[in-house]
Parts: sequence; structure tokens; C-alpha cells
Amino acid sequence: MLNWIGLVAAFCTFLGVWLGHVSVRWIERQVARLWIPSAGFAALGLGLEFASLWTFGLSPLIAAGCGILGVTLLVDSHELFRQQERVRRGRASANPHNPRHARILAEHPDAVPFDWLDREPRGQAYSAEELRLIREAGR
Amino acid sequence: MNPFGLLLGAATLLIIGLGFVWVIRGERYFGRLWWPYVMTAGLVCILLSLLLPNDWLSALLGAFGASLAWGSTELKSQAVRAELGWYPFEEKKFFPPFASVIKKWKAPSL
Repeated sequence: MLNWIGLVAAFCTFLGVWLGHVSVRWIERQVARLWIPSAGFAALGLGLEFASLWTFGLSPLIAAGCGILGVTLLVDSHELFRQQERVRRGRASANPHNPRHARILAEHPDAVPFDWLDREPRGQAYSAEELRLIREAGR
Repeated sequence: MNPFGLLLGAATLLIIGLGFVWVIRGERYFGRLWWPYVMTAGLVCILLSLLLPNDWLSALLGAFGASLAWGSTELKSQAVRAELGWYPFEEKKFFPPFASVIKKWKAPSL
């Protein structure tokens, strides 16, 4: 007989990591007050963890799904602020239409309004001059 | 109370954290072209998890497989990060079998 718990754990892990990457980047880019989605992620994460604790007698599939998704959502609530830090350091693109990001662009010289990662790997490191030219073109 | 979900969540978090480490180190020394092998290994782990009767082992193998599958989609971005100087860049890499064929494929990136 097949044990489906591995598949549920795999699906929830992939979904959790995908949410952590894609939705965190999108929300951080769009939202002016970061604490609101952060609190939402934290509340949802805690809710799922409590739900997983009270699944005694139910299928372990539910406990597994709630436990994994809950933990990843809790991490995401913190990850929103780490993403903001990446924007400040120029590791993620700033959105000039977002007032919070507009302030970051004005106050942090490393912040950029373009995505450094939006390029194919080329197999060799960029020189300082190449990086300067990319930055100038992006600005 | 059933602590299984909470403990599994914590264990999965460690597996995901380990994923960041092997993606960075793996890309540095082996390169991004291993992605089809890593993705296949991830899918095999997920399929094998279906055959394990123990819930803990099955769930951990499934989560590990998913983390491998995800990591395989991150190798391309990590290669760019290293080229930009955000991580140490190693010019000489240990390329996978059929690297010239894989190079022509579009690497997944989510």
C-alpha cells in the first residue's frame, strides 16, 4: 500500500518554498506598510501550527500539511523584512511607484530599480567596470 | 495534542535551510548544468517516499525530494549571483555528463 504522507510533505514543502520566494518578493515590492502582510503571514502560520497540534485522531496527512505550511509562513513573515534589506543593498529591484521603495532609492546608494538577476549565466565573473555599466544602464 | 505536524515542520525547515547551503556550494564547484540530475533525484525521492511504510521517514524523504526539486530551479539564478560577485565564483567547475546537451535546454527558474 502506498504511503501518501511523503507526497503531501513534498507538495507542501514545494508550495511553502515557492510562496516564500515568489509571493514574498511580489508583496514586498507592492506593499507600502510591510508589517501588515507580515502580521498576516505570522497569524496564518501560527493558526496552521495550532491546527496541526489538534489533529489527534485525524489523518497524519493533515498534521503534516499544516505543520510544514505553518512553519514556512512563519519564516515568510520575517522574510518580508529580509527582502526589504535586499532591496536596500541592491540585491533585489526597488519599485519606484511604492513610496517605501522610493524612499529606499533616495536614501540607499546601492538600491536599484532593476533586477540584477534578469540575465542568463555566461560562465565568467563580471568585472567592476561591467558592473558599473550595467548599473548605469539600469538607472 | 499531536506534535507530529509541528515537529515535521521544524524538520522541514532544516531541510530547506540545508537546500540554501547545497545550492550555493553545489553551483560554485559543480555549476548550474547539473539541474536535470538534481531535479530527477528529487522526483525519485518523492516517488520512493510513497513506498515507505513509516510516516516520519516517508514525510522527511518527500520534503527532501521537494527541496532538491526546488534547488534545481535555483541553480541558474545562483550562477548569475556568483558571476555578479555576490558569492565566491569558481571558474573551473566539475561539469555533468552531457553538459553540452544540457546547455541547450532552458533551465527552469521560478
